[in-house]
Amino acid sequence: MLPAYGLKTFAICKRMAAQSEVCGNCGFFPRGLNGGRISDDLKAPAGEDEGLGTVGVPALASRSDLLKRAAIAGGAAVAGGLFIAGHPKVAASAPSREQDVRILNYLLRLEYVLAAFYETAAAEGQLAGEIQQFVSVVGGHERDHVALLQRLLGDDANPEPSVDFGDATNNPNKVAATARKLEETASAAYIGQGANVTKRAMIDVARITSVEARHAAWIADILQRDPAPAAADSAKSPSEVSAALRRAGVSISG
Amino acid sequence: MERPSSHIKKEEGVTSGLTLEQLDQDGAIQEGIADLYGNSRADFLRKAVVGGGVLIAALSAPPRVEAAAASDVRIFQFGLNFEYLQSAFYTETERLGTVAEMAARKALWARTLGAHERAHVAIIKKLLGPAAGKRPSFNFGGNTETEDRFTRTAVAMEDLTTALLTGLTPKLQDQGLAAAAFSLMTVEARHAAWARHLVGALPVASAFDEPKSLDEVDRIVASTRFISTLRVRTTTTRNPRFTG
Repeated sequence: MLPAYGLKTFAICKRMAAQSEVCGNCGFFPRGLNGGRISDDLKAPAGEDEGLGTVGVPALASRSDLLKRAAIAGGAAVAGGLFIAGHPKVAASAPSREQDVRILNYLLRLEYVLAAFYETAAAEGQLAGEIQQFVSVVGGHERDHVALLQRLLGDDANPEPSVDFGDATNNPNKVAATARKLEETASAAYIGQGANVTKRAMIDVARITSVEARHAAWIADILQRDPAPAAADSAKSPSEVSAALRRAGVSISG
Repeated sequence: MERPSSHIKKEEGVTSGLTLEQLDQDGAIQEGIADLYGNSRADFLRKAVVGGGVLIAALSAPPRVEAAAASDVRIFQFGLNFEYLQSAFYTETERLGTVAEMAARKALWARTLGAHERAHVAIIKKLLGPAAGKRPSFNFGGNTETEDRFTRTAVAMEDLTTALLTGLTPKLQDQGLAAAAFSLMTVEARHAAWARHLVGALPVASAFDEPKSLDEVDRIVASTRFISTLRVRTTTTRNPRFTG
């Protein structure tokens, strides 16, 4: 968490204003901002909790905005410096068509993974009942999301990667558990990038974001887990999204 | 037992002129804030609102809407009124005992949504600072009194909120405020999906949510007549027209 003022804040803002990359975060805020599980002794009762992840990734548009932006960006300073392994970085600076291409391709990659997951699960998962309905309905949505992102990107759209789900698609229980992880990850990924695209792209990104969140709530309720665990949802940075996909047993190549 | 007199005694620590209902309304907000900081009665409610607390903490160094474009201020003021409406709706339903009569899983849903909407009021008030408007008075016309009417209203309300936030977020000029709006949008979408699932409707009706404009939502809210008056200030000599 960046304080509103201070040497560290000014140094980071200066680098960001110069469009340089800023990696890492300082340890100012006790809850921890980037962590997955974090221990928190300030809570009552003390215990472990979900880390915040990054809070959106607002960029520094102009020098006059520096402090306001820095205050918001907080510990999210910034997913801009992070890479998805082997792929173009998703930078967070002022929205532009070039940045849209990077971000929309990152989201398209995620949608390719989701669509492939549901396609494989429908074929191999021996599904029945509501989980079958979920996979069928949601799989259709993810294919529609792929199509829309491809249309927004036009010739800039990246091709589909090859994805391996290991044994995550073998039976209904694994399919449901993996679907929940993937939908939570997708929702958090969209929250993390939604504000970084141009207004024109944001209109479509927003109406996909809410649908990913609906998917996450639906599968959570099927599994008798909490469909809406917080009053404000956390974002995930691209590197956190990559890590979450790996933890869900998804390996991506190409 | 002596009926409460119309004159409220000073030594009870109650400001003369306030109705009990208004005090209760304040209580609802207080409860929402208490929940945010972990003092709620039930653990699930504390957990339910912790995200709101974290968002506030992350935003506590001022991204204040007052420094943002006038159109952003208008959007968040409208959003605040809408969150007031929702939090009042869930809070009244809890207070009337309608929630207590529900099956456990459904009651959890209703209480969680109430806690979230109260947290959203606190978050947006904090963002707006002095530009935050006062809480209006509401009349839900019996929709808080039975499980069936409450549920149907809640489903419609959550879908409408999702449509509002998907429509308004891309209109925000300030990138940080848009990022915050995304964090709230997904929660409203979760509420809507959860609500629809409870009533046996498809939680996700389409691959894309259909955004609604501020004016469209304003017209829909006006057509419900849920907002009865702007809250009467305590310094006025007039009696409130509606105090429930």
